[in-house]
Amino acid sequence: MDAAAPRYWPEAQAGSIPYWIYTDKDNYLEELERVWYGPHWLYAGLEVEVPEPGSYKTTVLGARPVVISRAKDGTVHAFENRCAHRGVRICQERFGSVESFTCPYHQWNYALDGALQGVPFRRGIKGEGGMPRDFDPKANGLRKLKVECVNGAIWASFSHDMPSFREYVGETIWGRYSRVFSGKKLRIIGYNRQLVPSNWKLMLENVKDPYHAALLHVFFATFGLYRPDQKNALEMDESGAHACLTAIMPPKDAAPADGNAVATSLPGFDAGLQLADSRLIEGVRELTGTETVSVMSLFPSVILLQQLNSMQARQIVPRSVDKFELIYTHFGFEDDDEEMQARRVRHANLFGPAGFVSADDGEVLQMTQEGISPDAENASALVRMGGAEIKDATHMATESAIRGMYRYYREVMTA
Amino acid sequence: MNDLVRAQLAVPSRDELHDFYDSYFETLDSARVSEWPDFFVDDCVYQIIPRENFEAGYQLCTMQGDSKGMLIDRAQAILKTQMFAPRYCRRLYSGLRITGRRDGMITVRQTLVAIQTLIDGPSEILVCGVANDVLEIGTVGLLFKERIVVIDSEMIANSLIYPI
Repeated sequence: MDAAAPRYWPEAQAGSIPYWIYTDKDNYLEELERVWYGPHWLYAGLEVEVPEPGSYKTTVLGARPVVISRAKDGTVHAFENRCAHRGVRICQERFGSVESFTCPYHQWNYALDGALQGVPFRRGIKGEGGMPRDFDPKANGLRKLKVECVNGAIWASFSHDMPSFREYVGETIWGRYSRVFSGKKLRIIGYNRQLVPSNWKLMLENVKDPYHAALLHVFFATFGLYRPDQKNALEMDESGAHACLTAIMPPKDAAPADGNAVATSLPGFDAGLQLADSRLIEGVRELTGTETVSVMSLFPSVILLQQLNSMQARQIVPRSVDKFELIYTHFGFEDDDEEMQARRVRHANLFGPAGFVSADDGEVLQMTQEGISPDAENASALVRMGGAEIKDATHMATESAIRGMYRYYREVMTA
Repeated sequence: MNDLVRAQLAVPSRDELHDFYDSYFETLDSARVSEWPDFFVDDCVYQIIPRENFEAGYQLCTMQGDSKGMLIDRAQAILKTQMFAPRYCRRLYSGLRITGRRDGMITVRQTLVAIQTLIDGPSEILVCGVANDVLEIGTVGLLFKERIVVIDSEMIANSLIYPI
């Protein structure tokens, strides 16, 4: 295709998504600039991961390695993990605790907030050599990101001209966010890491798509985690970039309102299957509200999911146009007793690379990428469930939030 | 079980130990998933846990069960509810070593590699790691009381479908 020719980009309302946005390498590089390094808050971790002054963690935001650290005064900082001198990745460990950061190559030394504070032989040796007199350490620190800590989670942006996180996600999503992140002190349960061979946007689409949940994930309906009489909600922010899917399950013993007709008609549904150990899906209510599932997708970097007593942040790290890392950070609360900790670990069996439901998603995303790649320039996806509308819904037969995300994406990419 | 019987039971030969593991891995490599829980006692612990979690004292596993029932549920899910591309998996172990004995049980350590082959794809290492097992020595033979597989390969190439 002629590089100068405008790409086919239908209106999002048309419910048509061109496949080249999942395969085009130049578009991917443009996304890094406009989306990942643009005015977006990116998930960078949890405050409890950098608990003390001197604590740090490393992560990757967009394609750039980043250090998140806590300074002596307790404030959290984020800066690129790349020495101002020769570009060496300074921190190699995932987590650690230091007095300051020192580049292994020429020992340039940085404070906990990323400021350059030491250059060996800056004045030369016995008056010879060294850095020029006008070299200004203040202007040569590690490149800083803007940071906001919000009820236990750390958000960072390469853009310094950012609205507050709450403004960024809007009041509807904020309500969902602050239900899980209420400010109550968190505890890390552990990590799972998965390399998914598909474009990163397919992951966000997947969690904005309530239509697939009961169809792809036979586990849900089979073992009672999806019921036709459950209440569903699909909510978006005004821009369409962010969304939240929630479900409220009726009490276990309540008779389904319209019989089990929908569940039993689902492909793969086997009424004879029962769990041998139902602790796998037995939850206790711990958050406000009656939601049993809450799946927030905060564009572009993270999915915040609560189901049963599993709570997790799934950080998206794009690796190339057809590959991304999905890093699951599972967490609970600081005051969890042993029983609750064991319950969270059990419920985590649903998620991650071996998850009873998540593994389905990783597999189907790979199959999607494989399916669309050969003819990506000439074909497009049909995303018309729920018509052309981009608005909230109280049912599952809609792809409204996918259209919403691409309305926003198109604005960002063509502005 | 009297003390004499227990003492005799508590010394499986290396051949018996190898036979047990060879049978276990043959069952898994042949994807006879429904037979997998039969290698465990009712009150068992099974874990595939990333090394970073294990070393940090975090309990999150990639695959977990803390009863034989949960392993039966895992087998049922693989066979009846999960959706995944067809694949073969082979598990190789080495360095099998008895690391301890106690009261009708032995602890065993082994190094592990699992190689996965997707249809139309090359064979690739799925995970490598080490297993720390507790085997119960019963009158019918050896059974897993615990199998804790600590994986170095924390970044899983998409999905981990079958147990190790």
